[in-house]
Amino acid sequence: MDLLWQGLVNGILLGGLYSLMALGLALVWGVLNIVNLAHGAFIMLGGYACYYMFSGLGIDPFVALPATMAALFVFGYLLQRHLINLVIRAPMFNTLLLTFGIDVVLTYSAQIAFSADFRTINPSYAGAHFTWLGATIPLVRLIACAIAIALTLLLWLFLARTRLGRAIRATAQNLVAARLYGVEPRSIYALTFGIGAALAGGAGALYGVVSQLNPYIGVSLTAKSFVIAIIGGLESPLGVIAGGLILGLVESMTSLYVGATYTDVASFGILVLVLVVRPTGLFGRTT
Amino acid sequence: MSEPLLAVRDLGAGYGEMPVLRGIDFEIREREIVALVGSNAAGKTTLLRALSGVLPHTGQIRFAGEDVGGLPSDRIFALGLVQVPEGRQLFGQMTVQDNLLMGAYRRSGRLDLAQDLERVYTLFPVLKERRRQFAGSMSGGEQQMCAMARALVASPRLLMIDEMSLGLAPAVVDQLLDVLVEIRGQGVTVLLVEQDVFSALRVADRGYVLESGAIVREGSARDLGDDPEVQRAYLGV
Repeated sequence: MDLLWQGLVNGILLGGLYSLMALGLALVWGVLNIVNLAHGAFIMLGGYACYYMFSGLGIDPFVALPATMAALFVFGYLLQRHLINLVIRAPMFNTLLLTFGIDVVLTYSAQIAFSADFRTINPSYAGAHFTWLGATIPLVRLIACAIAIALTLLLWLFLARTRLGRAIRATAQNLVAARLYGVEPRSIYALTFGIGAALAGGAGALYGVVSQLNPYIGVSLTAKSFVIAIIGGLESPLGVIAGGLILGLVESMTSLYVGATYTDVASFGILVLVLVVRPTGLFGRTT
Repeated sequence: MSEPLLAVRDLGAGYGEMPVLRGIDFEIREREIVALVGSNAAGKTTLLRALSGVLPHTGQIRFAGEDVGGLPSDRIFALGLVQVPEGRQLFGQMTVQDNLLMGAYRRSGRLDLAQDLERVYTLFPVLKERRRQFAGSMSGGEQQMCAMARALVASPRLLMIDEMSLGLAPAVVDQLLDVLVEIRGQGVTVLLVEQDVFSALRVADRGYVLESGAIVREGSARDLGDDPEVQRAYLGV
């Protein structure tokens, strides 16, 4: 029983972070109709940005988080404006190919720049934990999860309540009408891609605190983000939170009862199951 | 008499090598309701696209005293030439209120906006009731109202409505036609583009008949309605 409880707590803490990881991918996918295969590489870059601000400048990782996100926003914005915009109207295969190429370039640039060594963002309180109802809760994991959920809710509010948020949703839903009412799709796309990259950067910073960074983490994080986006759907950040929590819980339960080596089998098993049973996503509308 | 709000001279337009419109001349005066009628594939939607600046064209278009022929579509839109597109083109998964706010995307000034929302909710009370509902979940008539309301929030000087009555019940069409008269009373000029010649001519001051890409008849709505040719071709009399 205690073990189950601990497993649930671990799964939720992991799932919160997973939600933030997938959020940018789902947003870009929903608005630009691009599955960004370099999304995991953005997460990796965010992790390194935060790592160097911490180890080089001594900035607390949670303080470095906003700067990391800002840097990734600019990076994503420029990348979309000057490179991805060139193929935005092309069939999905072309955008997959392009973002795959970007992923490769970023991964191996990172290997040259940062070396292939494992890095961890390791503040003085990294080992701090407390016990709650019998479950051990590492402090940094709790903070990371809380920040992840808070950022997801912020995005939801931004999309729901602001003029630009409305324009982003409108562009996703009906490009023709959005243009008719004065929306300039190119800037909306760049803005959206920038936000997606910023969210990836934030997720990377948190990932570096709770886990280990190396230049190759991107591929598996892109894959996990993809699974979460499929489960949660592309329509609402709230669906992505649910998708992230589901994946976190499934992985945690699998490593507890089946074995840690089987977590990927379980998460991709869910992907297949969802695609077969509910191709619109667990929370997607069927129409 | 002063310059008309919209004056089109010798307009031609088409897709690629295929010309659809040729030698189109017409004008719309301030506060008129003008009907542009014609059967399917006569070139009505092509004409609207050319006027909105989303389709290249030859000839001259003057709107509100300015030559708008070469302007990009967003500049033309900002001058107050606003279109309600065929098929409504709502943001289906957004609330009615969010749809209306998208009409004001290019505007600044919150106070005016609140007033304008109130104004369109007075014109279409049912939209106020449904303002938190997804636009795509409403009936066809309500969706058409939502599309017209969204266009009105954009502060049009000339409202161009493409196939307003398409797929709607006669009672709903009557209701929408009444609204057009009311909108005109508020100072908005209306260009109604319709296959439903009978409805369009009922509220219009004047009309033009478009056939195979050219204007073949024009006159007051009454004269057109009485014209035996028009009656034979479009009214089934």
